[in-house]
Amino acid sequence: MKYLIYTCLLVGFLFTGCRPSNEVTRMNPGETTDLSGRWNDTDARLVSEEMISDALTNPWLNRFSRDHGQPPVVIVGNVHNESMEHIDTEVITKEMERAFVNSGSVNLVASSDERRQIREERSDQQQFASVETMKEMAKELGADFMLIGNINSIVDETVDRRTLAVFYTVNMELINVETNQKVWIGNKKIKKLIERKNYRG
Amino acid sequence: MNIAKFNGDSFTSLMASKLRLHNFLYHSICLAALLLLSGCHAYILDDAQQDLRSSFTAGDYERSTQLLEKFKSDDVYKGKDAVLKNLESGMVHHFAGNYDSSNVFFDKSEKQIDDAYTKSISRGLASLLVNDNTLVYDGEPYEDVYLNAFKSLNYVQLGDWEAALVETRRMAFKMEQLDIRIKGLAEAFAQKDTTGKVDWSSGEVNIQNSAFSHYLAAVLYAKTGKPDDARIEFEKLGTALQEQSRLTERETSLKELERIREPQNYNVLISAFSGQAPIKQQEDFRLWLDAEDGEGSFYVKFSIPTIHLYPSRVYSIRAKIDETYIPLHLIEEMDVVSKEVYKAKKPVIYARSLLRATVKATGSTLIASSVRKENKGLGLLVDILGIIGQEATEKADLRGWQTMPGKAWMNVIELPPGNHPIEIQYLSRTGRVLFTEHQSITVEENTALELVESIYSQ
Repeated sequence: MKYLIYTCLLVGFLFTGCRPSNEVTRMNPGETTDLSGRWNDTDARLVSEEMISDALTNPWLNRFSRDHGQPPVVIVGNVHNESMEHIDTEVITKEMERAFVNSGSVNLVASSDERRQIREERSDQQQFASVETMKEMAKELGADFMLIGNINSIVDETVDRRTLAVFYTVNMELINVETNQKVWIGNKKIKKLIERKNYRG
Repeated sequence: MNIAKFNGDSFTSLMASKLRLHNFLYHSICLAALLLLSGCHAYILDDAQQDLRSSFTAGDYERSTQLLEKFKSDDVYKGKDAVLKNLESGMVHHFAGNYDSSNVFFDKSEKQIDDAYTKSISRGLASLLVNDNTLVYDGEPYEDVYLNAFKSLNYVQLGDWEAALVETRRMAFKMEQLDIRIKGLAEAFAQKDTTGKVDWSSGEVNIQNSAFSHYLAAVLYAKTGKPDDARIEFEKLGTALQEQSRLTERETSLKELERIREPQNYNVLISAFSGQAPIKQQEDFRLWLDAEDGEGSFYVKFSIPTIHLYPSRVYSIRAKIDETYIPLHLIEEMDVVSKEVYKAKKPVIYARSLLRATVKATGSTLIASSVRKENKGLGLLVDILGIIGQEATEKADLRGWQTMPGKAWMNVIELPPGNHPIEIQYLSRTGRVLFTEHQSITVEENTALELVESIYSQ
């Protein structure tokens, strides 16, 4: 009996001292990694991919290009985070900006924060740059559409906290700056089930 | 020949018995020393917590920061106490005005609390032999809720209202889940109890709403142009205040708070905190039974933590701005809510303490009685060692967030552009000013919401 107690004690104290060591493995950014169940790079990528393909293949783009004989000018506004997690929505909007620019079918103008910086630089140039290289004022490209959106989440948890279900819904809209007409609405839903372990060694 | 043989055998048997005893005694002493050492750290941590509470409540955040640094270098907070360390650091940095750092610590503690859901079997075993202080501190449920309140205030201070709203949503969600869990726990206990003699109802425990989180959310929604969300939060605030009034003698009427629904009528949010977090104290129970044969005894000691409210002298708070007095409304009695939530956890803590004490007492009694059969004197010694071991290792888990304030007070006002000196006055029940904090606030033409914070922990 006493040996059993000793063995249990020894094993217990040995376990107490165990610490995991660090190990780094490089991996493909496209690979899915779900570690904590929280919003992660995979979710941001899935949302961006869906939104980009939906926005660029929808009729609003062709219709505008056909009617105006030039690609639309888009500005990316805010994607509000109305979820229960801190989500960097810029990851999604930057992906969309990249896809818009690279597609060649949409012209993109700088966001309000970026514009502020550029305007400061332009004002600065008026005073300090040479006349030949100085950029002119009031030559900005006005946007035809603004992209805005929001992220919502619904969380449901079992009483024992063992299972957690998280449902994210991401909405994005392209709004005509002149007429307030919504020309495109994209939506992506993500649902996750997180099972927690009760015990470890 | 026979006699010699008999003597030789008896000598060998005596020596073997002595060796067994020495061996056993050696192992027992080693084990006792190991257990005593494991139990010792808890006392060091208790002292450290007390020092931190004293410096923080005295408003000496520099000293609190130094203490936290010292505790880090002295390894006072072990890996199992990381949640505690981060909660304390988060709060000290919040009131020292380092909002970014505060959020980093609160973030860490929130994740650690979440990770601590998965319990360690080895630590569980160790806790059964030593005490609950060997377990990973996973934060009291109310600590997990209120850390979001301070994160939210941090974000308001940093001007990130969207992030502040994320925190209020998390806080509200946790409160709702906690309420469901507490009721579920009580039901589970009731179902398992076949005696029918114990009342397992959650009783008065009702904490499904946090007035603090709804107040903050209502202000932020109103200010971000979401009147519908602000209205919903305001209604929830009313329910929360009503529920809270069942726990306390004070009641804040929802009518007094109507102004928060009119974002155009205020640009300053004043938030003040009084009192301290509830204090955990140890209560010991000892039982000594003499054996029927008069040889040896059965000694059992078990220690349980009890929670007590800090008796704050502050009865009301007002702000004096430009010769005008503005009363602050008592929004949440965090200390009372904390005590209420703790009530629900009591059966689990008590049952575990009792089980642990019984295991220890039975173990030491069995060992002592087996030694006594071989050597009466040594048996007595082992008996005494067993008692000392129980006395030293049996200790209630008194860990808790020491720097959490007791009560939250708030109000909103409108100030014209310019610099305004503000006096936050803390008053006693008789209306005597106990403490005044002087601050100043700069309101600009386009200021949407400026947050003024103050604390007096006495």
